[in-house]
Amino acid sequence: MTAELPPGLALQKVDERIMTLNVGPQHPGSGHMRIVVQIDGDYIVACDPDPGYVHRGEEKMAEYRNYITNIPHLERPVIHDSCNVLYPYVLGVEELLGIEVPERAKYVRVIASELNRCIYIMYWLAIYGIFLGHSTMFMWPAGDRELLIDLMEKMTGARVTHAHFVPGGVRNDLPPNFEDVCLRQVNYFEKRIKEYAAVFYDNPILISRTRDTGILSRQDAIRLGTTGSVLRASGVDYDLRKKEPYDVYDELDIHTNVMKEGDSYARSRIPWLDMIESCKIIKQALQKMPKSGSVRVKLKPNPKGKNETVYKRVESGRGSLGCYVVSDSKPEPYRVKLSVPSFRNLIALPYLLKGEKLGNMPSVYWSLNYWPVEADR
Amino acid sequence: MSSDSKKPTPKPAAKKPQEKPVEIPAFEKGISDKIVEKFGDKIEVAFVKKDRVRINVSKENVHDVAEFIRDGLNYDHVESVSGVDYPQDKEIEVVYHIGSYSDSSLERQILILSTRAQREENPIPGNDATKLPSLRDIFYSVEFHEREVFEMLGVYFEGHPDNRRLLLPEDWADLPPLRKDFAIKGR
Amino acid sequence: MSVIAPNFKLSEFIKSLLDNAFWGVLLMVLVGIPAVMMVLFFIEMPVINGELLTPFLALTWLADPSRILPVVHAFMATDMFRVMAFPGFGFAALLAAGTIFVERKMLAKLQLRVGPFYCGKIEGILQLMGDGLKLISKEIIIPAKADKPLFWAAPVIFVGAAAAFVALIPVAPGWVVADVDLGLLGVFAVIGFFPIITILSAWSANSKFPFIGGIRALFQMVSFEIPLILSLLGVVILTGTLNLSEIAASQSSFPWIVFLPIGAIVFFITMLAELERIPFDLPEAESEIVAGWLTELSGMMYGLVQLGTYLKLYAFAALFVVLFLGGWNGPMIVPPFPAEILTDGIVMGPITAKIPGLPLFTQEMLNGTLWFVLKTVGVIFFILLPRGVFPRIRIDMLLNLGWTKLIGLAFVNIFIALGLLYAGVLGPGGLQ
Repeated sequence: MTAELPPGLALQKVDERIMTLNVGPQHPGSGHMRIVVQIDGDYIVACDPDPGYVHRGEEKMAEYRNYITNIPHLERPVIHDSCNVLYPYVLGVEELLGIEVPERAKYVRVIASELNRCIYIMYWLAIYGIFLGHSTMFMWPAGDRELLIDLMEKMTGARVTHAHFVPGGVRNDLPPNFEDVCLRQVNYFEKRIKEYAAVFYDNPILISRTRDTGILSRQDAIRLGTTGSVLRASGVDYDLRKKEPYDVYDELDIHTNVMKEGDSYARSRIPWLDMIESCKIIKQALQKMPKSGSVRVKLKPNPKGKNETVYKRVESGRGSLGCYVVSDSKPEPYRVKLSVPSFRNLIALPYLLKGEKLGNMPSVYWSLNYWPVEADR
Repeated sequence: MSSDSKKPTPKPAAKKPQEKPVEIPAFEKGISDKIVEKFGDKIEVAFVKKDRVRINVSKENVHDVAEFIRDGLNYDHVESVSGVDYPQDKEIEVVYHIGSYSDSSLERQILILSTRAQREENPIPGNDATKLPSLRDIFYSVEFHEREVFEMLGVYFEGHPDNRRLLLPEDWADLPPLRKDFAIKGR
Repeated sequence: MSVIAPNFKLSEFIKSLLDNAFWGVLLMVLVGIPAVMMVLFFIEMPVINGELLTPFLALTWLADPSRILPVVHAFMATDMFRVMAFPGFGFAALLAAGTIFVERKMLAKLQLRVGPFYCGKIEGILQLMGDGLKLISKEIIIPAKADKPLFWAAPVIFVGAAAAFVALIPVAPGWVVADVDLGLLGVFAVIGFFPIITILSAWSANSKFPFIGGIRALFQMVSFEIPLILSLLGVVILTGTLNLSEIAASQSSFPWIVFLPIGAIVFFITMLAELERIPFDLPEAESEIVAGWLTELSGMMYGLVQLGTYLKLYAFAALFVVLFLGGWNGPMIVPPFPAEILTDGIVMGPITAKIPGLPLFTQEMLNGTLWFVLKTVGVIFFILLPRGVFPRIRIDMLLNLGWTKLIGLAFVNIFIALGLLYAGVLGPGGLQ
């Protein structure tokens, strides 16, 4: 059997000039994954991402729990973006159960998911800052993120793992006076994140460091099937909120941020622009939301889905997030598959790092808007 | 809703559009018609719904159909590759969700291409009959997805250049975990 | 409800205290005092006020300031005091500790946090001590394949080299540990040591990340040493001396930064690079190579390297002050020592204490030290500031900056100095 190993499984012979670096899993610049990097001097000749250190078998667990009890654990892959990671599953289950969601609940969902997108991007930005050695950019987003976390806590009762979306609406109605507080905080937040340009995005050292590194051309971005900010930084105008609007996104005015360069700088700037856009969406949604009404359709206990398959997708903080639910008329789903944007963007990492300098590795890696836990599920 | 209540296959779902033919959207129907026109009996259109077209193909034809989907229909990337285990059928289904960025009319469409591989009771991943042709030479984006399906369900993709484990540990010696006979403790 | 010490009895507590006190006194009488006496027996004691300073006399004088002060004076004149305490290690370490504290608090304020807060009642002032205790108490782990003697020696040599650097800095007129004529050359020699120590430590750790970090440090320090040396040549040309004390004294009317701003800027940038501060902290870039050449150091070995780093930071800032900002020169703002204390003594109600030898330090020395410290703190502040503002740059950009731009600017600076000299503005016959 040793002689006939399948392709990819055989050991490789490595040149003596090449040094193999195990970046991770215990490394300040890797997250919960390992990147096996082969360097020749200061240049990366090959890169092999090795995720899976936080694989928790969410998909297997989902086959053993019913549609409602799946909610708290399916949001664990990205607890900072927990509303968005749950969103496609909830939409899919609603289709399987044939539920129509009340209008007010749809708006509450939009507000929650946009707030969550900002919370996620702030966390991502904090780590991007520290990866580039900019400690102020680590502390500022981590601190300003609290504003929105407080809002989410008011709305859902939990700081990060909300479990707020349920099939048929949202778990609870908004607390009294939430609209005013939300508007005030979001206005301040928008003003505050625009200040980041002065210290971070317009910083000449940052620009000279990340411009023209890790360039992903438009063709390659499409061919590799990347999504979200990576795709939009390469000049592809694709945002599911606009292209395939779910819930009430078609009633809101959404601007998609696209940049043509496709380098690390563009990829890091797009999420920041997205946050500013999210603030505008939240303000619109607050204005258009019905002031009263039901937020949840009451479900039967242990609902059974139709004997169907459904694939729903939403635009999360990292890109399009799909959920494929196979139902077999039982209370439990037969199979739940999360098609997560981090996993889809990961394929670009070996492609981008090849021929880059070692010093560019953190900025290119984290500009992929990659969340290791989500990719492992 | 379906007469076939014994077995959870997506095939019964195919009858649904025929029950209510009014709901079939024209654009999606056009897509499925093109494929049917090209391949005829080799494929089976499972359902045509709003924004979603599902096609079941046998594993001999999946490579050709995928090539036509890319070249003839302008789909350009695979969003997700899911493996679904059907022990009763002795089959493992692999579902490709194919989308398009470059064609603006297809932006909201997902073409679902499903195929089935033979399932072994005692799997030796990579060295048994559970094999499918890899679509990596057609859709580059399936690379990691197919690696994941290989380790999670033991479906070996012939022609895939890199068949190492991705998420599971290197010393995983149990069944592929997403098979139905891999039981979670206590459940 | 939980009780901290459920079996507490006051009588036993007092008994334990008394026990401890008893054993302490007994050991001191039987072992401590005889040991001190025996040691003092072999040391030649100074003659003060016509009396030989025997141990008994010294102990009795401790209570009398008029008699202890001459002892202090005698001690302050020794080399030991200069090396250990004032212009040397102790003073530098104190300033370095202050630097660390200020860095933490300032960075915290910049980043909307609190910084050290709990250790010590006031604003976490004892945090550094706590960290030091933690580092001392930590286990030192040596990699299995490390070259052990070199690996052990490297942090010690690092601190030694930094202390040697500190020794060359004149703080006040006459107050310098090593007043050598070729002081500036000595500085260059000591700076040249650091890349060697770094690469030795990195190589001996036998690990990949320290190796890359060490190579980076070597590249960085070697390529920035050249503009560093060139940028200081302007000052040497204008003053005509390499003695740091003379350079400082030559700036009594104006500091050299007035005439050589380009040299000062080049020196400041190279200083940041030599100190491995952000934006030039590539040898310790944590997101790329963990902690660079410090990765395998643990416990107090790491603590020693940190101590050396901050001593080096102080020394560089002080060198900047000496060369460009006029060293100790500044308006006399320290008030003279009140003369009536010398003549009349200190009057406290009915008691009058006449204390001979009282002005411990001269007015010039105090004033010079004050100005020197003020200027040094200002320079250190500007060294710390980029850490809150800039991201890290890349090694190729760094080398490009060092080899092309900074060397060019340093030559421009030399030409300016030569021009000033030959035009007769400065130098012999000129302003100074």
